[in-house]
Amino acid sequence: MSVLKKPDLSDPALRAKLAKGMGHNYYGEPAWPNDLLYTFPVVILGTLACLVGLAVLDPAMIGEPSNPFATPLEILPEWYLYPVFQILRVVPNKLLGIVLQTLVPLGLMLIPFLENVNKFQNPFRRPVATTVFLFGTAVTLWLGIGAAMPIDKSLTLGLF
Amino acid sequence: MKYRFNTAIATTLRRVCSSAIVAALGLVIFVASDLALPQAANAYPFWAQETAPETPREATGRIVCANCHLAAKPTKIEIPQAVLPDTVFKAVVEVPYDLESQQVLGDGSKAGLNVGAVLMLPEGFKIAPEDRIPEELKEETEGMFYQEYNTDSENVIIVGPLPGDEYQEIIFPVLSPDPRTDKSVNYGKFSVHVGGNRGRGQIYPTGMNSNNVASKASVTGTVSDVTALEYGGYEVTIATDGGDVTETIPAGPEPIVEAGQAIAAGEAITTDPNVGGFGQVDGEIVLQSAGRIQGMLAFFCLVTLAQIFLVMKKKQIEKVQAAEMNF
Repeated sequence: MSVLKKPDLSDPALRAKLAKGMGHNYYGEPAWPNDLLYTFPVVILGTLACLVGLAVLDPAMIGEPSNPFATPLEILPEWYLYPVFQILRVVPNKLLGIVLQTLVPLGLMLIPFLENVNKFQNPFRRPVATTVFLFGTAVTLWLGIGAAMPIDKSLTLGLF
Repeated sequence: MKYRFNTAIATTLRRVCSSAIVAALGLVIFVASDLALPQAANAYPFWAQETAPETPREATGRIVCANCHLAAKPTKIEIPQAVLPDTVFKAVVEVPYDLESQQVLGDGSKAGLNVGAVLMLPEGFKIAPEDRIPEELKEETEGMFYQEYNTDSENVIIVGPLPGDEYQEIIFPVLSPDPRTDKSVNYGKFSVHVGGNRGRGQIYPTGMNSNNVASKASVTGTVSDVTALEYGGYEVTIATDGGDVTETIPAGPEPIVEAGQAIAAGEAITTDPNVGGFGQVDGEIVLQSAGRIQGMLAFFCLVTLAQIFLVMKKKQIEKVQAAEMNF
């Protein structure tokens, strides 16, 4: 096990911080040099090796030249836009689709004004916020997966 | 001057005549073969070559076979993730269908399905020459005839029609190009487009329906008569306000209407005899350089060594820290 520094509990400044739930960086394994000088480069090199391996073994493909007069048979935006693309695709009215898409950033903008209604940070002490978050995540995944499927299967995901 | 002008006219005339004769002969042969072997011609990819001489892939990404083979059926492609330059590898196109099913032929009789495939390889790839194909692959591809789509594109290959019960998988022996000798090719990842077809088409390139599709009523009215014709097929007479209209159904599809039934224009009056269909799929292949792989492996070794040494150095420093307790 690595070297661990004990908290100096005779230091009133540290005690004041600990009382506020802070000051955890005053004890334990020192960041310098143990983490920053030795462990970080291990991780950085590992990441670099993964990227180099992917770049060599699975290089990015140069796509076809775009042609504004020929829409491809299957159109899909970048992957992170799949869920909102799916909203636009399955809603019968395009204006309604745009409105629903706009509701996504508007809903996110509301969060800072609503989140302090409950002062706890622990997700288990924020049942409403956690439920909304999990439901939103599930809907996003459902819409995102559906976007890559044919339109008749996109809502059931071909499961039913 | 006049003399030369005359010869010019004569040459032109002669050229026009000879090409007309060739064209007429070609037409005669075409029609004759169609009459002599009506079902043989139904799956031939030469119609694709004739209607889309440049490439079988339209700008939208659709392969032109889908213009006549209207039903959609799955097709799969199996190719290696990466190949080294100047290497023979195997590309497998799977054209699955229910082997029990039978299709109608041009004369209305039933028979097994034919399959065919078009394989669009990246620029520079081509069917391997006979002497490069390894023994094992040679056995698998025995008797296959790989046709280039046109004379300029070695990388676009069509195969078929083949008897479908023997060729659920169509195997292509492919030779990868070598960027070291052929400067028009580069290392990298390229897309492969595949179309696989089983069974006859629904329309001819001229726009005429084949007998492998459901007939539809052309007018709204009441069916007054359904008669079987002597040489196969049916005639359905539809009584309308403006008089009787006769729909001729070619041999193959069976009528599903009977006399006295009211029918709307566009409604199907026969069964759909089609059991086949066309499917297209895209694949990717990496033309890989052996040098890059070696470099990558050498780099991985260096990285691993560096990581091991960093951890060892950390352990050493920790011992010092534990001894001095002054961090």
